[in-house]
Amino acid sequence: MNGIGFWQENKTENILITTLQKKLEGIGDVVHKEIETPEEKVTIIYFSSLIDNLTFHEKVIIPLFNGREEITQTAKIIEQETLTEVLSAITEGNTLLYFHKKDLYFTVNTYSPPARTIAESDTESTVSGPRDALTESLQTNLSLIKRRIRNPNLKSKNYIVGTETNTKLTVVYIETIVNQENLSRVFTKIDGIDWPGVNDISIVSQLMEEHQFSPFTQYHMTERPDAVTSALLDGRIIIMMDNSQGVLICPSTFLEFFLSPEDDYNRWTTATLLRCLRFFGFFLTIMLTPFYISALSFHPEILPFEVLINLQESRSRVPFPPVIEVLFMELVIEVLREAGSRMPTKIGQTIGIVGGIVIGTAAVEAGLVSNTLIVLVAISALLSFLPPSFTMSNSSRVIRYLFIISAGIFGLYGQMIAFAWLMQHLLSLTSLGTPYMTPMIPRKWSDLLDSVVRLPTSFLKNTKDVSRAVPPTKGEK
Amino acid sequence: MEQNHTKVLNGYHVVFLVQNVMIGSTLLTLPNLLSPAGYSQWWFPLLFALIANLLVLPMIWLVSKYKEHDLFAIHEKLFGRWVGKGLNLFLLGYLIVLIAAICEGYLDLIQVVALPDRTTTWPLFLFFLVLVYITSGGIKSIARYCIMSFFLVTWIIYFLKWGMTDGDIRHALPLFNFTAQELFTATKKGFISMSGFELILFYFPYIIHQQRAFKQASLGIWICAILYLVTVLTSVMYFSIWQLENVLYPVLYLFNAVKLSFLERVDVLAISLWVFFILTTTTAYLWVVKRGIDSIRMAEKKSHLYIVATVIFLFINIPFPKEVQKMIYERVFYINYAFIIWPLFLCIIHLVKPAKEGVK
Repeated sequence: MNGIGFWQENKTENILITTLQKKLEGIGDVVHKEIETPEEKVTIIYFSSLIDNLTFHEKVIIPLFNGREEITQTAKIIEQETLTEVLSAITEGNTLLYFHKKDLYFTVNTYSPPARTIAESDTESTVSGPRDALTESLQTNLSLIKRRIRNPNLKSKNYIVGTETNTKLTVVYIETIVNQENLSRVFTKIDGIDWPGVNDISIVSQLMEEHQFSPFTQYHMTERPDAVTSALLDGRIIIMMDNSQGVLICPSTFLEFFLSPEDDYNRWTTATLLRCLRFFGFFLTIMLTPFYISALSFHPEILPFEVLINLQESRSRVPFPPVIEVLFMELVIEVLREAGSRMPTKIGQTIGIVGGIVIGTAAVEAGLVSNTLIVLVAISALLSFLPPSFTMSNSSRVIRYLFIISAGIFGLYGQMIAFAWLMQHLLSLTSLGTPYMTPMIPRKWSDLLDSVVRLPTSFLKNTKDVSRAVPPTKGEK
Repeated sequence: MEQNHTKVLNGYHVVFLVQNVMIGSTLLTLPNLLSPAGYSQWWFPLLFALIANLLVLPMIWLVSKYKEHDLFAIHEKLFGRWVGKGLNLFLLGYLIVLIAAICEGYLDLIQVVALPDRTTTWPLFLFFLVLVYITSGGIKSIARYCIMSFFLVTWIIYFLKWGMTDGDIRHALPLFNFTAQELFTATKKGFISMSGFELILFYFPYIIHQQRAFKQASLGIWICAILYLVTVLTSVMYFSIWQLENVLYPVLYLFNAVKLSFLERVDVLAISLWVFFILTTTTAYLWVVKRGIDSIRMAEKKSHLYIVATVIFLFINIPFPKEVQKMIYERVFYINYAFIIWPLFLCIIHLVKPAKEGVK
């Protein structure tokens, strides 16, 4: 819009500029300049921390000295002149221009904060496929996605969340294939967020969840643009936030936490094998050490004689009952992992090696744990990291403790009761109203083609039933 | 009481509800229950399935006349409010004792096989926590749980392979080598394994395609019967007649025949895993009891479920003398037979009633 038509010639006094100055008092990085252009005096206000000098010079100073007409081509006039509007424009990184002679306010978009370059993903690295990961800049992330999906149907809706932080949040979807019901649920949920400040999208995810007490996260978070793209192409809804590297995929199902984008790039045989490994790994990681407890404490007869003798031999110097031994060992592994991830990388590696040696040999020699248990705990710790989703591997670790305690109290029966609980819990969870255990229960035949088993790519042409816009009419799902 | 049911059960739900409620702990002891018929018992599951299938007919006919009502409401409609409520109360009492019998039977088995030096109180408490958790999800949640349990547990049927290999197929013949008295005794003792399909009287209003309910229920019955058939046939092949008569849980011994290099006593694993089948049976019955109390008190409340669960838990923990307990539980199973035939009478009353009202 050309703002010249709105210029009002006869304003004699404007209180706004003085009020604005008072409001911005006490802010260290606010810059307040008065410039005499060839035509008139202009007051400029902006936050230096949000704008780099080069951008400021290119977008404001040069056009100003080239004449008022040029600046009005890129600047936006503020019509209402309300304090809130002007203030929010400045805090968003715009530069406010006040033309004294004409008594008019303009803003120029000069937002140019320092940004991290696009790098490889740390938590979701793959061997094949694209390597770029999302960054903390919403604009960059959007551009990474739009580079992949060049389609006018890719729509987005902007929100501001966090009553104190006023963080930008964008909901992205492909209009032609998105499920409208899911979309309206997402909008309602975001509208309902009333929270002072969100630092990361995971907080938004927790605020949106239907089952807050569950150990399982209900929205898949990824930081890979290719994963986002395939989700969008499948009709899912993406929620992105400024300052957050991760984005949310809604709705998500339990199985999807075990799928990696790399599965699409591998041959279907390899992908299927790896997926089976991940699922089996999840089952083993929650069952392996509890089974050790059950077998030793309650049902030694379940093991073959030779295995039992070996186990008893390795436990001969351990004075504690198996459940204490396992809890001790599992907690040590947790501590090592936690300490390793908090320390500077170089020290972390050293501690990891030293810790491994100490636990691997010294703890056994000291008679604190058995050799066999070391092997089992190490395997189950490794298996817990098989799911590509970090949140799911965290959940599996939490769940494992429940199984360990149940096995410690009632052996295999306790384990099975815990398993029965887990199954019911997973069956009762929903993500945006979609059952978490889809496509297993309720079964969705078309989705099963790309679940634990991935069929050859040509079979996977259809979008998944779970995110389909028009629900199938045949039969009740 | 007018009821407004949301239709939530699809075909799969009905099939699995029928079969999983039927497979309870009786499968573990079925060959022993059928032992009066000797080796000829192996085809009995087919006979039972046929009888059960015939008995489902009047049930479906009756409930399809009252599409929006379960048996509790039908009682009130047919017998009037007070007699109906009285009947419902009796039914509730029976169901509560039945659940107690199933739970206690299973927990006793767990104690014998897996937890020999423990009392059953705490395992039972844990069991009840999960039981209430599943039931509180409603009938659809129970149906889903049935589907999942079926696939989680039924794979252990593979373990019968060893029993079959070690057994002798010649035991299966001759076929009809029993007297009428033996047939009656075996049926009387063994048909209890088929009970569970009658719960369709209660969840029928929740079925989406009610016109297909008979087909789905029949499918459930026959899948269950095939599982029974395989198990009983393996027992017949594996055991001697004396063993069939005297071994209380023959199926557990069948699992014992399994020879794996990494697992010795598969029966412990099997009996622990069996908790899924027991849970599906008891949750369905518990849900019915909860619905019954809702209909008597004319209000749907979650608290009813908790109260019922507490009552059953306490009932199991009452230190009855073993003889009294055995007597109560055996009578309950006889009531179960009466209850299965009951819909036949209800159908007659339903047919007679409009004529009577017309006379008035």
